[in-house]
Amino acid sequence: MRKPFTQVKRLLLASVAFVLAASALNYVVDPLQLFRPSRLVPAAYSVDTRMQNAGLLASQSFDTAFIGSSLAIHFRQSDIDRALGVRSLKLAMTGSNSRQQGFVLEDAIARGAKRVVWEMDDWIYVDAPAIDDDPYFSADLYRRTAKGLASYLLSTATTKESLVSLLRAIPPLHAPLASVAPYLPVKFALSDVDDIYALPRNFDVSAGYNAKRTLAAFAYITDPVRSHFLGIGYDYDAMVGHFQRDAVGLIARHPDVTFDIYFPPYSILQYVAMRDASPAALKTVYEITALVATRLSQLPNVRLYDFRAIKEVTHDLDNYGDVIHHSPVVDAKVLTWLAEGKYRVDPRAPLASLDALKAQVEAYRVPR
Amino acid sequence: MLFNSYPFILLFLPAVLVGYFWLGRRSNLTPVVWLALASLAFYAIGSWQFVGLLLASIAFNYGVGWLLIAAKLNPAQRRAALIVGVAGDLLVLGVFKYAGFVAENLNALFGTGLTLHILLPVGISFYTFTQIAFLVDAWRGQVATYVLPHYALFVTYFPHLIAGPILHHKDMIPQFEREETKHPQAHLILCGLIIFAIGLFKKTCLADGIQPLVALAFDARSPTFDQAWLGALAYTFQLYFDFSGYSDMAIGISLMFGIFLPVNFNSPYKATSIVEFWRRWHMTLSQFLRDYLYIPLGGNRRGRVLRYVNLVITMLLGGLWHGAAWTFVVWGALHGAYLCVNHAFNALVPKMPSALTRPARVAGFALTFLAVVVAWIFFRAERIEWAWRILLAMTDPTQIAFGREEIAALVLVSIYAVLVWFAPNTQEIMGYDHRKRAVGVDIAVETSPLLIYGAAAALAFGILGIQSHSEFIYFRF
Repeated sequence: MRKPFTQVKRLLLASVAFVLAASALNYVVDPLQLFRPSRLVPAAYSVDTRMQNAGLLASQSFDTAFIGSSLAIHFRQSDIDRALGVRSLKLAMTGSNSRQQGFVLEDAIARGAKRVVWEMDDWIYVDAPAIDDDPYFSADLYRRTAKGLASYLLSTATTKESLVSLLRAIPPLHAPLASVAPYLPVKFALSDVDDIYALPRNFDVSAGYNAKRTLAAFAYITDPVRSHFLGIGYDYDAMVGHFQRDAVGLIARHPDVTFDIYFPPYSILQYVAMRDASPAALKTVYEITALVATRLSQLPNVRLYDFRAIKEVTHDLDNYGDVIHHSPVVDAKVLTWLAEGKYRVDPRAPLASLDALKAQVEAYRVPR
Repeated sequence: MLFNSYPFILLFLPAVLVGYFWLGRRSNLTPVVWLALASLAFYAIGSWQFVGLLLASIAFNYGVGWLLIAAKLNPAQRRAALIVGVAGDLLVLGVFKYAGFVAENLNALFGTGLTLHILLPVGISFYTFTQIAFLVDAWRGQVATYVLPHYALFVTYFPHLIAGPILHHKDMIPQFEREETKHPQAHLILCGLIIFAIGLFKKTCLADGIQPLVALAFDARSPTFDQAWLGALAYTFQLYFDFSGYSDMAIGISLMFGIFLPVNFNSPYKATSIVEFWRRWHMTLSQFLRDYLYIPLGGNRRGRVLRYVNLVITMLLGGLWHGAAWTFVVWGALHGAYLCVNHAFNALVPKMPSALTRPARVAGFALTFLAVVVAWIFFRAERIEWAWRILLAMTDPTQIAFGREEIAALVLVSIYAVLVWFAPNTQEIMGYDHRKRAVGVDIAVETSPLLIYGAAAALAFGILGIQSHSEFIYFRF
């Protein structure tokens, strides 16, 4: 009877040893670069931006934070730096809400950002769980609490990444593994921080962004079966509350930081879809953006830009992959407009561009 | 509480094991009471609001069982008692599980404004079916008198309570009555620990590892051909390892208490026919449906046509058992149809020449797997039209994305396919034989360092893989 119990103890002790060894490996390799910039192994980055941002904030040097949702996800840091003459850190997160964006920006400012470029759309103010209850966001990882660090270090997923990073550090394996990493089921697959969520340099823009796709997306979202989705989440009072807390509150707390905020150039079809299928939601969009424009344009440390009524962009459906997401060609234009200060909202007439948009939406007829 | 959680692994399970064996030194009954109370605590930690319902269900069925076993009733009275018992169980199950679904359909059909928000008690399908089998067997005269603690433990036994397997009283209660199970048996604890480690690894590393790919098909508005296939296959493998992992963990935990649970999962994707698939997938549910639904309906004794009708009815109800939604009805109907085709094929097509046996088995394997994948799409999709969208995408090779994400997904799906089709299953690794009450007999568990350290690694990475939001797919059935 003694021997099997000895083996039970051996099994349990060996498990503890494996756990400790894995967490030690994770600390030393640190694939997220949460503790230090990568030195032991070649640096690698993930497109899981909600997690990756915690590592970027800790390991990169920057003076400008660039944030937004999927509308800002394809920008390259090098393009931002070149256009705006800054040292930027792209922190955009697809489908992110104002709580998440505000939380990440707070950390970025605490770590030295003096300027924030913020792609802001009305959708980010829809209801969202508290940052600590958000299952898709690890606030503790950003705060470096014991829980956050434990979830990172005591993790099979991290261990897998550490082992792959170690393999990649072996000279004969480095080049081949680096080239195939993006096609392997590992998170930290990108060797250049500039490539995080950026489209490949040889990406066929005309195939990904064209009027056919845009009109197909329009037909899809306005189909009576699913058109009610257009109105989900548009609760004016709740959105105002989130705007005050996540945007105004943050900006007011940091008067020494400059905020370049822009409303992105959706295709006109986004508003037309709402006009035809969900007019109540469109009314809320108009009201919330009127409030946001009025309030933000009056803040001394904010430069507000509105790109939603630039007809030659928003009415050219070849610029879009669906009704909202614009092509990298428009990304470049956005940077140019920001650099040149074009389409800046005049605090004395903050609703001028919104009025122009309203008129365009009313007048627009969908091509058949 | 979940098996794949730190509180369960580090606190609950060790405490219950220590208490069970400590009490086992003193009497044969108190460990049973302890385990039943621990099982209630296990249930209450996650679903305290339904503990009363569980206790009421136990009291009701034990009472009806007493009438059928011990009371001097005439046949008509016994039949009435059975009807009351089964109807009572089905009524409770119906109200909690299906009332909302019925109201929703009435609203759709007649424009009524019925609104019902009834929470589904965790495990209700499992403890209801378990007790229906008990009542039917009691009526058939196949049940000896059991004392309440053993009966209560049989229903609440925490390794099976929330997600199966569906237990049978004739299998379990005699084990609870045995005195030897109350003393720690090092061999069973070691084997149980190894099986638990394998199950935990399957759940937290394999099932949860592939789960994000499921979104490629099921969360996309218009998946491409490759995305639809990869997402559907990812779900097929996620469900496999989720359920397989849970089944292993249940067996492993139970084995530490000296109790052998029935095997519920036996490499179902290796099946070469849909009939074989159902002998390998959720085996205890298949046995229940066969013994308490298909055979009472007449089984195959009333001619070929009625056999097929019975099969379809059985699988439709099996589908509805999984959830109150039309997608589950379609899933059940599909499997009913598959089984009919399989039986008709067996009846109509002459025996294969030996030269064709192997190719026929390969073809049967491929066809079975494909049919199962198609059915899982309805099982997973929120609505039937969403399932259609995925199926249509899977038949349209003109729309292909095949970018980085899809290639990475293909690599992962391929690894899982190799594991599913070529790796031995846990019973094979551990020599687990539920009928013979034997495990690890021929594999020298105690003297195999590879097995010990392999299990230690599996346990370690299984624990490191625990995520805070990872339920079992069968948790809510």
